[in-house]
Amino acid sequence: MGFQDRLSRELVAAWAIAKKDVAIYYLRPGTIVGGVLFPLFMFLAFTAGKLGTAMALIPGLIGITTLFSASSIEPVSIPIERRTNTFDRLLSAPISLNALVLGESLSGLLYSVVIALVVFVAALLILATPIANILLIVVGILLSSLCFATMGTLFAAYPTESPGDIISMVNVVRFPLIFISGVFIPIATLPAVGQMIAYVSPLTYANDLIQGGYNGKMTFHPIVDVAMLIVFILIFQLIANYLYKRFSD
Amino acid sequence: MKFREHSMTSDTQAIEVSHLVKQFGAFTAVNDISFSVAVGETFGFLGPNGAGKTTTIRMLTGISPPTSGMATIFGHDIVRDTVAARQSMGIVSETSNVYTDLTGWQNMMLAAQLYRVGRTERDRKATELLQRFELYERRGDRVHGYSKGMMRRLTIAMGLVNSPRLLFLDEPTSGLDVESNLIIRDMISDLIRGGVTVFLTTHNIEEANVLCDRVAIIDKGLIAAIDAPERLKKTIQSVQSIEVSFDRSSPTRLDELRQVPMVNHARKEGDKFKLFTEDPTEVIDGVMAYAHTHNTRVTSITTLGPSLEDVFVKLTGLQRSGGGVTAID
Repeated sequence: MGFQDRLSRELVAAWAIAKKDVAIYYLRPGTIVGGVLFPLFMFLAFTAGKLGTAMALIPGLIGITTLFSASSIEPVSIPIERRTNTFDRLLSAPISLNALVLGESLSGLLYSVVIALVVFVAALLILATPIANILLIVVGILLSSLCFATMGTLFAAYPTESPGDIISMVNVVRFPLIFISGVFIPIATLPAVGQMIAYVSPLTYANDLIQGGYNGKMTFHPIVDVAMLIVFILIFQLIANYLYKRFSD
Repeated sequence: MKFREHSMTSDTQAIEVSHLVKQFGAFTAVNDISFSVAVGETFGFLGPNGAGKTTTIRMLTGISPPTSGMATIFGHDIVRDTVAARQSMGIVSETSNVYTDLTGWQNMMLAAQLYRVGRTERDRKATELLQRFELYERRGDRVHGYSKGMMRRLTIAMGLVNSPRLLFLDEPTSGLDVESNLIIRDMISDLIRGGVTVFLTTHNIEEANVLCDRVAIIDKGLIAAIDAPERLKKTIQSVQSIEVSFDRSSPTRLDELRQVPMVNHARKEGDKFKLFTEDPTEVIDGVMAYAHTHNTRVTSITTLGPSLEDVFVKLTGLQRSGGGVTAID
């Protein structure tokens, strides 16, 4: 079997897995709470706390929307599928773990992109938010969505049948990321330790791209942001592959 | 030369297992088992709970890596060449692992896409299988509205959507209604006639006896015996039995029959009594004498050789309970 044929097979299978998740899990309560309501409440809390005007907080809202919505599908779907044994169907299919992880992550990516686009369009229509470079926003949304979806798939590798177990673990990572990634609090105002941690947060680079797209002000060069997000995606994918293989017993 | 050996092996052997071991920490679930299944053969895998059947299937289907040893599917190493090995197999797990929030048709399409069955072929195959399993009229309904038997039939249909050369069937008819049972048994017979290799685990020993060319009996991670059902029965000819029924019932009859000379063990099966012995002739004489003494008539009496269930009980050391053996998975 040639490389092209193999790649095509893997992509078809990944897309089939993603479509299945779209049909089953997008409207589950756990997904809606984690992917839509959490970032919305966070945005309202920061707006009410007068940490900035609604218009100024829109890039941050899009950033945390991608973080929460992209990483909210797999922590719900995979434990449920372990409980119903449907996950074994995927594990025993003639596809690689790469295709399985990618397929699971694709559904998180699509979910995140749709919600982020709703926020983007609503902000444009209601607040008339100025845009400096729409390409940066689009790339930021796409890459951060894939990055955080893969992160959600990675966490879901933990062998439990309870979505609550995974969601709790993901939240331990998601909430601190909001405060150390320059989303609502500029990185420059963080203590030295916080600034160092910010460099190892994918949300820092995602937020930088989206902020740059809105107001033209960026901490890093866009190529650095894109490269770092790609590196995070690859790292999450590799770790997820390893963990799914390790926990398949 | 090496390639030629590989091809010949994959042409004749569907499954080859060599010194397969699976350990979970200090516990050895599967302990150095070896066997092969020929192309077109129907192979039964019997064993009590925790014997290692499911662990073996999980290793053979590439879900769980073995601790040591190797297994090949049509010549493809299941660890090193997992995707190729899986492409030619269909897997029907013990539980009906279908997506209940999807329709029957969507489930079939998902299974077909995972096995990369082309669009035209998957439509044709899904239609054919859903009709075969009498689910076609309900194909547009979400599966959570299906009965247990319908879900089981859908699970098997999904396992066949890629026209596998090798089918793993884990307890296909366990706990099903008569209609589903008949449909599934017919389908398995059709597959066998069509040359599909079947690896069947079942707790229904009669099912294995009727369907399988060979059976392996696994206990505590070890294969206790592996042979054709009839040859296995011959290994324990000492476990012969007499099946007898009387014109009147009596609550004390079973205990009384146990006292007949040369009866090693007796149990009641419906309106009949099964008396185990090494000397059937002596027992028949004893039973006739018993009937005369107790003023009752023998309505039927038959000499039986050992059943596959007898072989299973003997090899695994299980205890009989009531009319059958207990704790068979």
